[in-house]
Amino acid sequence: MHIPDGYLSPQTCIAAYAVAVPTLAVASRRVTSVVRTRNVPLLATFSATSFLIMMFNVPIPDGTTAHAVGGAIIAIVLGPWAAVIAVSVALLFQALLFGDGGVLAYGANVVNMAIILPFVALGVYRLVAGKSPLTARRRVFAAALGGYAGINAAALATAVEFGLQPGLFHTTAGVPLYSPYHLSEAIPAMMFAHLTVAGAAEAILTGGVLGYLVRADIRRLVPNHPGIPLTDDAVVPAASRWSPGRVAAAAVVAMTLLTPLGLLAPGGAFGEDAPEDLDLGSLGLDAIPTGLARYDGFWSRTLLGDYGFADGGNATVAYWLSALVGIAVVGATVYLIARAVSALTGRGEPPDGGPSRPAEATAPSSSG
Amino acid sequence: MTGRFPGGTTPDPVPATVPGAPGNGVGPPGAALPAWLRAGTSRDSPPGFPAAPPSGFPPPGFPPPGPPSPASRRGPRGGRVGRRGPFLRRTLAAGTDVLRRMLLAEEVATRPGMLQRLDPRAKLLALLILLLAVGLLHHLPVLLVAWLFALLLGVASRVPVGFLLRRVLLTVPLFTGVLVLPATLSVVTPGPLVLELGSWRGDPVGVSTTGLLAAGFVITRVGTSVTLVALVAMTTPWNRLLAALGALGTPPAFLLIVGMGYRYLALLLGTVTDMFTARRARTVGAGRHDGSARRFLGASAGVLLGRAHLLSEEVHEAMVSRGFRGRVHTLDAPRPTAGDAVAGAVAVLTAVAVTVADRALG
Repeated sequence: MHIPDGYLSPQTCIAAYAVAVPTLAVASRRVTSVVRTRNVPLLATFSATSFLIMMFNVPIPDGTTAHAVGGAIIAIVLGPWAAVIAVSVALLFQALLFGDGGVLAYGANVVNMAIILPFVALGVYRLVAGKSPLTARRRVFAAALGGYAGINAAALATAVEFGLQPGLFHTTAGVPLYSPYHLSEAIPAMMFAHLTVAGAAEAILTGGVLGYLVRADIRRLVPNHPGIPLTDDAVVPAASRWSPGRVAAAAVVAMTLLTPLGLLAPGGAFGEDAPEDLDLGSLGLDAIPTGLARYDGFWSRTLLGDYGFADGGNATVAYWLSALVGIAVVGATVYLIARAVSALTGRGEPPDGGPSRPAEATAPSSSG
Repeated sequence: MTGRFPGGTTPDPVPATVPGAPGNGVGPPGAALPAWLRAGTSRDSPPGFPAAPPSGFPPPGFPPPGPPSPASRRGPRGGRVGRRGPFLRRTLAAGTDVLRRMLLAEEVATRPGMLQRLDPRAKLLALLILLLAVGLLHHLPVLLVAWLFALLLGVASRVPVGFLLRRVLLTVPLFTGVLVLPATLSVVTPGPLVLELGSWRGDPVGVSTTGLLAAGFVITRVGTSVTLVALVAMTTPWNRLLAALGALGTPPAFLLIVGMGYRYLALLLGTVTDMFTARRARTVGAGRHDGSARRFLGASAGVLLGRAHLLSEEVHEAMVSRGFRGRVHTLDAPRPTAGDAVAGAVAVLTAVAVTVADRALG
């Protein structure tokens, strides 16, 4: 995933630096504001560690090896801002000393591997691990999942950076000047490699290191896990974080984030053509099937037909209104289903009503 | 710059002697190069690295004695070329290679050459200007001329050209080549066909001229950029490169972290190779990639994190006891000479010249 110089246009590189440099400045301020002197050697040794972790060949179950970035485990142990610095410094070693990753592209590499990766990984880890005790198996699973999500988010960002190049930068004859792949080729190519091999490497490493630290060296984890008990015995029964409102909000957010997938899909939606648009010849038909013709206009009393007002005016406003109404309806539906499920199963009760459910220590991802 | 080779000869690619690393005054000039650097068979306390691990031992059978295998030259991510192979051995080979490259860079930086004589700040500025210029070129011939220019600079600076080309051909375009080859096909880059390979949905498919041009752009641009970066990185001692980065506005605290990180890299690398060598000694056969291998990997990375933590606490106490209060002071850098100004001017002129030539071509 280390982008060499020559793959991205200088303009893209400058844009990436414009993101990377302020983030690095914030990270430096964050990690040096508390105990200034202690963090300098801490970050120095962890930068070296980050470099060495990138050097590890991670054994993949199919007999191959792959490299992990290690940003996820450093974020879990030291916090995201320290991970930003440590991975950035390791990338600087690689760019200057080993020619792995470019100098102009350094900003882009920092954005992908030192900023996106640790933050996504830590977010997923915290979401999945919840308030489970440090020794819970669920934490190891959460760490592996966090590493997997983090490296895939970084790969997606890399693919988008590659994929934007041919459209934006080409000669007058149309020859791409930098990365020649469009989004529709770059994203599947990068994601296939990272959803399988590289993602597995990062997951194995992150989960494995967390498992080792829990077994052998748990006090390393305590500073960056405030309020998390060590073992099951210390768990204070807490109210479930699962509520119909949260489930509905999560569903809406997830779908909004997945929206860009629609831009990548070629062609139109299958089976949604109007009857008169059907290519009857290729289907071996001479006329529109009678049932289809009869029931096509069966329900015409829609509020926003074809995502517009009835009189066809204000198309943009109507389209936005349709989108917002759609989101609200989907959210409300998920909310109602979640209410019904919670009423039937008795989960997600408010803390003052009824006995609280003891926190599940072993079940992986019950908050999903 | 105290190091000069006796007799003025520079053995290639690995010298018989290594001068002291300038600036830290630890390594004695002309100290004999450890045998492991030549044969790659064992680890030793490298001159020039403070707090290096204690004297090493030849780990049994790692890597195979004799001239360095191509696999050990592939850098920290050396496993990229072929994916199959035992992970222990591959990680160990990558570790040896990291140390080898660190020492080779320090050694090349002290050879008498053109770029070595220049001020690091001038070199760094010139590098950025040239990289930008190379990044903006639109014509293959101009890019090729720029690459040739970079290689000539390498010859003038006694950087092994073979090493430069290997760095370009082995490390990067394997990434690049694998990614670029399909782009020559008309499926990806539509254009007139040079070589028809078949047909798909009735349309002929093959290698297109547009695709070949696009691939050529990527390869020459990557090659030129990598060569330029390697030239600056190889001809400048690491600590002076950092000082130059500071002179260009990088915050001193960040550079302190980079500089210290580099130093402890050599030390922590010893921890890694010790663990992996011990594991290899306990493993019969090649070792399978099963659950125990993954547990070992997690545990060794975990031990590494613990060691790094512990080390940082000790280093912190040592720094505070010597007066470190969070402020970073740098020694005065040498004043740039007229030669540096000329070099900077040459770099700017070259950048302008290639850009003008590029525009003139249309």
